[in-house]
Amino acid sequence: MTNGKIHGERPTAWAFVFGTPIRYALGVRFMEALHAFRVGDNIPDILLLMQHLPVVTLGRRARDQHLRIGAAELASRGIELQVACRGGDVTYHGPGQWVLYPIFRLGHATDVAHSYLWMLEEIAIRAAAEFGVAAFRRPGMSGAWTAAGKIAAIGFYIRRWVTMHGMSFNVSPDLSGFETIVPCGLVGERVASLATILGGRVPSMEAVGKSLLAHAGNVLRREMHLYGAPAEMPPDLGRIWLATANDSAGLPVRCTSAG
Amino acid sequence: MNIPRDFRFTSSHEWVRIRNNIATVGITDYAQNQLSDLTFIELPAVDDEVSASDEVAVVESVKAASDVYAPVSGRVVEINTRVVEQPDIVNRDPYGEGWLFKIEMSHPEEIDDLMDADQYEESLPEEE
Repeated sequence: MTNGKIHGERPTAWAFVFGTPIRYALGVRFMEALHAFRVGDNIPDILLLMQHLPVVTLGRRARDQHLRIGAAELASRGIELQVACRGGDVTYHGPGQWVLYPIFRLGHATDVAHSYLWMLEEIAIRAAAEFGVAAFRRPGMSGAWTAAGKIAAIGFYIRRWVTMHGMSFNVSPDLSGFETIVPCGLVGERVASLATILGGRVPSMEAVGKSLLAHAGNVLRREMHLYGAPAEMPPDLGRIWLATANDSAGLPVRCTSAG
Repeated sequence: MNIPRDFRFTSSHEWVRIRNNIATVGITDYAQNQLSDLTFIELPAVDDEVSASDEVAVVESVKAASDVYAPVSGRVVEINTRVVEQPDIVNRDPYGEGWLFKIEMSHPEEIDDLMDADQYEESLPEEE
């Protein structure tokens, strides 16, 4: 298709990088608040990069049978159980794993025509390569895979054509968290991290976070402006963060979509 | 990208084909491609009254979920039960067999707010 569109034009996106692990419910509530602002065109595209405190999340079509242990036993291991309004099945998040939540409006003339799923996979594959790990796609299986198992898992939700949720990337999480579930409902598939593959040469969370941000900017074709979060976020959004943290972090997440 | 010339389009990537006072609605080739292989579709009920831009359906793939919006106001008069049973029809033929629902329009002038094929094509990312 040649219709005279400008190449190389990059809209601005704000990247908020959280320094300490965040409870899942708080992260999601904040993401949902930002999503509403983005739908209303009150803010540019946002990319949240954070780690969660240990949590098992069930996607919209997730089945309880993919939990190997119940909520009480999860709790005794210090792992929360939450529902997630995203596509995909069950997964685990915890410290040592980056989650990447792009709150991006899709379908603009300035965007890349690749599917959003492809782009998330591409970010993970390029970041892994930067640290010497060969990651790849597997036909019919989303995410980024290595010879040692799945290193990046994907589940997202598009509402009003603005994205929510996204991708997790394992740097050095306690992989025993994944043993409490059948990750993504895939029986017999292994989970890998940079640490299991690289051993003692594993890069820092900070280095991997920077790599994910840089590749996200290139793949999603956005000019990224980085903010340390929550401290350096624009004041209006900082206030929303504080209100969300005071208000609702302990509440369960609910799906508010149609259906 | 495949865009039928005589359809109308929304910025949320629904298409509309008008015959008399009935609007047939589906999701565009761009939308099905973004979501990849669909595995689940939830449609409105026949006789539902809907307003333009209401969330009326949900389409899901293995890894993604997205809402579908009513492009025009009116009453749902028919739904495509085949795509509920076989969601991949929407991937294969989004503008034909993969239609989702039909609305008997209560405000036909709303069609004027929709994009034509040229405008929709211009709004989309360029293929590489």
